[in-house]
Amino acid sequence: MSESGTSPKIQTTIETGDEDRRDAPLDARETVIETRDLDVYYGNEQALDGVSMEINEHDVTALIGPSGCGKSTFLRCINRMNDMIDVCRVEGDVEFAGKNVYDDDVDPVALRRKIGIVFQKPNPFPKSIRDNVAYGLKIQGYDGDVDERVEESLKRAALWDEVSGQLDSSGLELSGGQQQRLCIARAIAPDPEVILMDEPTSALDPVAASKIEDLIDDLAEEYTVIIVTHNMQQAARISDRTAVFLTGGQLVEYDDTAKIFEDPEEQRVEDYITGKFG
Amino acid sequence: MATEESTSDGLGRSTALRLQHLKGRLFEVALVAATLVGIVSLLALFAQISIDAFQPGSASPTWFLVYLGTLVAPTAAFTLYARRRPAVRETNAKAFAAVFGGLLLSFVTYAVVDSLSPYDVFTYVFFTSLPPAIVVAYDRTTDDRTFTGPAIPASIVVGLAVAALLYDVVRGPIGIAAEWIMYFGLVTVPAALLIGTLTASRRGRRSGVVAGGSVIVGGLAVAVASIVTGTNAAFPVVLFSAFVVPTGYVLWRSVRTDPEGRVGVAGPFVLLGGTLLGAAVVGQFGIQNPDTFLTPTLLLESWDGLRANNAGVYPQIVGSIIIVGFMAVLAFPVGIGAAIYLEEYAPDSGLRGRLATLLEINISNLAGVPSVVYGLLGLALFRRTLGFGTGIVFSAAGTLGLLILPIVIVSTQEALRAVPDALRQGSYGMGASRWQTLREVVLPEAIPGTLTGTILALARAIGETAPLVIIAVATTKYSPPSGLFSSATALPLQIFAASANAKPEFRHGVVPAAAVVLLILMLLMNATAIVIRNKYGREH
Repeated sequence: MSESGTSPKIQTTIETGDEDRRDAPLDARETVIETRDLDVYYGNEQALDGVSMEINEHDVTALIGPSGCGKSTFLRCINRMNDMIDVCRVEGDVEFAGKNVYDDDVDPVALRRKIGIVFQKPNPFPKSIRDNVAYGLKIQGYDGDVDERVEESLKRAALWDEVSGQLDSSGLELSGGQQQRLCIARAIAPDPEVILMDEPTSALDPVAASKIEDLIDDLAEEYTVIIVTHNMQQAARISDRTAVFLTGGQLVEYDDTAKIFEDPEEQRVEDYITGKFG
Repeated sequence: MATEESTSDGLGRSTALRLQHLKGRLFEVALVAATLVGIVSLLALFAQISIDAFQPGSASPTWFLVYLGTLVAPTAAFTLYARRRPAVRETNAKAFAAVFGGLLLSFVTYAVVDSLSPYDVFTYVFFTSLPPAIVVAYDRTTDDRTFTGPAIPASIVVGLAVAALLYDVVRGPIGIAAEWIMYFGLVTVPAALLIGTLTASRRGRRSGVVAGGSVIVGGLAVAVASIVTGTNAAFPVVLFSAFVVPTGYVLWRSVRTDPEGRVGVAGPFVLLGGTLLGAAVVGQFGIQNPDTFLTPTLLLESWDGLRANNAGVYPQIVGSIIIVGFMAVLAFPVGIGAAIYLEEYAPDSGLRGRLATLLEINISNLAGVPSVVYGLLGLALFRRTLGFGTGIVFSAAGTLGLLILPIVIVSTQEALRAVPDALRQGSYGMGASRWQTLREVVLPEAIPGTLTGTILALARAIGETAPLVIIAVATTKYSPPSGLFSSATALPLQIFAASANAKPEFRHGVVPAAAVVLLILMLLMNATAIVIRNKYGREH
């Protein structure tokens, strides 16, 4: 599935001034997403600068970095959500399962059915809870048992016990944390392969956030999860692998989470993680 | 900074602070005054018009006593009773909407269809509803539904074309049937289908068929009863299908789902019963009625320019309704479509983006163009360029449609802009196409706002006079328009013409009475739209 044609080793590309590249064996899992020299511009402003990284199947990959460093831009490039922005220009490759998603014959609609996304602010549709979860099934013309899928997705999003009696009430009546879990249920209902999460807990209180964190852990068993977060502890707790972006849209370091947090290669990364910078 | 007057702890009121407060109070008073000036002068104007129209001074005191007893007292008592009981109030509101909405629907349907010829309306409605019905039926039976959605509007156009082609052939045979059968097909059959579908979705297919069937049987029974008693069956059939059936359904359902508020159902009947009872008592004892011009004659007869008591504006009322109705058919799809393109599809940058921005600016400007200028545009377009007859319904509706188009576009754009972008992103992120996002998420959210804009547009159009004068719509006409290409007439034009009548009873009696009718017409339209909007607002 993910024959990207590269070595099973994972490349860690460090784009520093002297451009040193090195290969480091990290894991034997298969690569599902690979970017090569990804540059993104908003008009004349460069948001990503030559980002190359490989993301493993069933990993939780955390993207951290200060505001404006391009981590959300990177996330949105993966399922082409940036297409909606007129001034956005993408150069370089983003390969999903060995196919460049920016090729002409790739339909972004089809791509997003494989790569779901959960946003920072919970955004349930002003529909019933059932219709929210069934949305993806409906637009994709799913002809199986919708109610069964809705129940299954809500259970997987750890929301079923709280809402099973009120599936017909509006999704907007739920609390913020429940709404976000509803959005996760909505994203997983059509059974995508990858779930992108753009700071999914930053609008939530700590209790609701910790529920989502537990959930992400479970989701990684079946899905590849890529999560943007501002919260260093969160990245350390839930992710297998962490990518650190710093200002200028550069990927500075990408490694096992434990390595990043305990013994980063780069001084800048250490400064950022320990709070000296950013 | 502390001044010499401030208390030692610096928390007291210093002179500077007092001045600040005074300035704030003065500003508030000025705002209240500004608000009151507008409202009070409007109220004074309406009071003046109403007094002229109703002439309350000419009624005997007994008349007031009778209506106090039959209408005002029971209504007040009922209102007081309902005030503390939210369930009753809610049911009451529903009952009001159902009863008066049903009555309005019946009268308007009958008046419009009657003036346009029931045979013609039936022919066109039949041919334009049959193809989409076939498409829907096909959609139910097949798995491949890709093309059935776009096929529905296409099939309506095809149906319309077929109806126009076959009109001469079909119209003869259809004309043999009795008139009431046309109304039966136009009103009773859709009512039966609607009730049947609603019941089927709640209580299963069998109940749906039974409910729909009983509406059909009921309609036939009403028709037979009317024929036996020797009256024209057409209006009873319409009243049964568009008033009794939907009202009965709504009331029955609200009583069943909310037994606590069941008393609320009585609300509209207290009002109607009180009015009828009062009228009966007044008639029985020969009590002096107010010398008003707001009479059944005004509403149901045609114009008489010599005797004010004999003057009626029925053709003008129906004419206005037909013009505004057809205008809505022309302008709303175009306006809403343009707004959706500009807001959802047009790019922000590049050549096409600049073009779209230019369009948007011009549309905003067009919303402020004087209506007389639109009249000239209508004259040039419909009379000179297209060569239509002078002052026909199509030109009038088209001209008013152009007039309200910018309003519809701008307000629909506002409504679309108010839909949070997060919802669009959420939908796109689920792998929805642009059209799916629009249909499933954006449009349902934008409907209440769009309706508010179209309310304003309708209200503006029904009162427009100047453009109709320019395209030479007849001021006085003795029959309502009989088709889209027959000569039009409208209520504001008649008011305008009558205000120049030499006889004072026209200027001081008929004109205000007709103005009240026009205002009521406008308020009814607004009320209809508000009811629809609130219903949507609740569901989402």
